[in-house]
Amino acid sequence: MSKLLNKSLKIFILYAGIVLAGSIPAYYVIVDLIWEHELKEHNLIVSETIKQNLQSLSLSDEELAASVALWNKLRPETQLQPAASLLPDSTYNIYRKNKYIPTKGKDRFQGLITYFSINGKPFRLTLETNMEESHETIMAIAVVTVMFFLILLGGFIFINRRISARLWRPFYNSLEKIQSFNLHKPQEIHFDHTGIAEFETLHHHLHKLITGNIASYQQQKEFIQHASHELQTPLSVIKFKLDLLHQSKPMTEEQSDIIDQAHQALAKVTRVNKNLLLLAKIENSQFPEKERIDLPVLIEHYVPFLQDFLDDKQLQVQLNITGSFQLSVNKTLLEILLTNLFMNAIRYSEPGGIIQVSLDERRLVMANTGNEALDTDHLFRRFGLSARHPTGTGLGLAIIHEICQLYGWQEHYRFENGFHLFSIQWA
Amino acid sequence: MKVLIIEDELQLAQSVIGYLSGESYVCEHAATYQQAMEKLSIYEYQCILLDLMLPGGNGLQLLEEIKKRQQQEGVIIISAKDSYDDKIKGLQIGADDYLAKPFHLPELAARVYSVIRRRSFQNNNILQQEELQIDLLAKTVHIHDKPVLLTRKEFDLLIYFLGNKNRVISKNALAEHLSGDIADMLDNHSFVYAHIKNLKRKLHEAGCGNYLKTVYATGYKWEV
Repeated sequence: MSKLLNKSLKIFILYAGIVLAGSIPAYYVIVDLIWEHELKEHNLIVSETIKQNLQSLSLSDEELAASVALWNKLRPETQLQPAASLLPDSTYNIYRKNKYIPTKGKDRFQGLITYFSINGKPFRLTLETNMEESHETIMAIAVVTVMFFLILLGGFIFINRRISARLWRPFYNSLEKIQSFNLHKPQEIHFDHTGIAEFETLHHHLHKLITGNIASYQQQKEFIQHASHELQTPLSVIKFKLDLLHQSKPMTEEQSDIIDQAHQALAKVTRVNKNLLLLAKIENSQFPEKERIDLPVLIEHYVPFLQDFLDDKQLQVQLNITGSFQLSVNKTLLEILLTNLFMNAIRYSEPGGIIQVSLDERRLVMANTGNEALDTDHLFRRFGLSARHPTGTGLGLAIIHEICQLYGWQEHYRFENGFHLFSIQWA
Repeated sequence: MKVLIIEDELQLAQSVIGYLSGESYVCEHAATYQQAMEKLSIYEYQCILLDLMLPGGNGLQLLEEIKKRQQQEGVIIISAKDSYDDKIKGLQIGADDYLAKPFHLPELAARVYSVIRRRSFQNNNILQQEELQIDLLAKTVHIHDKPVLLTRKEFDLLIYFLGNKNRVISKNALAEHLSGDIADMLDNHSFVYAHIKNLKRKLHEAGCGNYLKTVYATGYKWEV
């Protein structure tokens, strides 16, 4: 992509080129016209001088004939010849080969033919003055123009560099600040004072936009947190009332079933609410404590906790742990990450399937048997896959994503050889 | 045994009272910080259920006041704020337990039961019910004076049922009790059924009466 300043520079150079190229014929015409005009004047002056000098000499006819012959021999560029009658003056402009210096090629001449009488006899005087040839004039003008163009070009580039370095510096500074801005870790941006109206307007509006964004993001996060908190009490009331309802006598099987179903739906709402709250807390950086945790040991201790769920679906867990290492993380978050990964694997596995856990110093890969690849576009988004499973909250992977974001880890999903592979990479 | 419920949400307090009353508990309710302080200065309780967000004062502050009195009562914090900090702080000040809302009433009853056992019967860790004898400290069970080997989860379930005598307990509540946070991530709670089946079988084989009843397909009850 080309820079803004280079774009204007290109247009400037193109314009300068066109103007300068156009100036070559213009200069040529003007120079040639002046040149021709001056030579005509020059020829006229010379011819008039010759005419008057000759007339004032008062030579006899013989002397005149001898002088004219000598004149014509000595000054071949002027020819004095007897004429039949007196005619009006005429001029001409011709190219002719140089008789005396043939290597010079063709020369250009401006000529004047004038008539006058000496001793009552009409004479014709032809006067020629060497003139600069057109192609030489054009060449000279072109060379000068190209030189000026080159000087302009160099100047443009130099000035452009200086401008971009100085004039646009505030712009690039602001650009850098905006680039480093992260809504998840919002820090107010302070633009430097530039004293340039356009930049100040830009900065003012950018500042307004950014603070607006931070505020609404903050409000959104607080809103979720408050909403989740507010929901805890009514959810508790429903749960309590259902527990109480379960005690009523007599109780039919149908009623008992209804209570059970209500409990299940309530459990899902509670779960969604809990996860939303958790997401808000992670976003609000409410898990600042870190400790060094031996992940291989943690996972080995963790699997027995899942035994009930694994037994329910006759799932097998294969651990493939290499190396021993520690991660510096928040323990609660790491446990949540593990729980969500394992629960996903358990929930989406067919009964009798296999869950493979591969762990080394760089990454954790959780694989479970599956039939078809998942839609990767919305996978790690909130409620991205919620429709797929009745018990899923649609937030489990979003929580994994958020935890990975917090620690700068990479989460990834792919489907391979009949296995869903979820990997978390931290190095 | 007297239980004080300090909770500003009337619906919640009434439900807790409704569930706990009847057995051997007498429940009282305080809705504000001041009411709680008044009741605490007049009466003695075996267990206090304390909501941290109270009108008129902070629950943790109230907890400090309670602990200053050096009584034998146990305190269970019930909070809508599932905050790690509050939990740590509460337990440090001297609360016996911490329950995050929403929870099941049988869970609360089981916790109240065990807190009272721990606090008020310090020298008597043996529970006796007819032929059944349970040592809470050693976590052993004897039936007709013969030891019965239970897994940790089966033992947990047994204590849970004893804390909820004659109450119908839903499978949901049992699953949550057994697996905590993980349980509510999956709806298939058939593992509960497996543990209960094993517990029933072991009790029956040892000659224990049939106290543990299944209520239709969705609930269980310890009937005495």
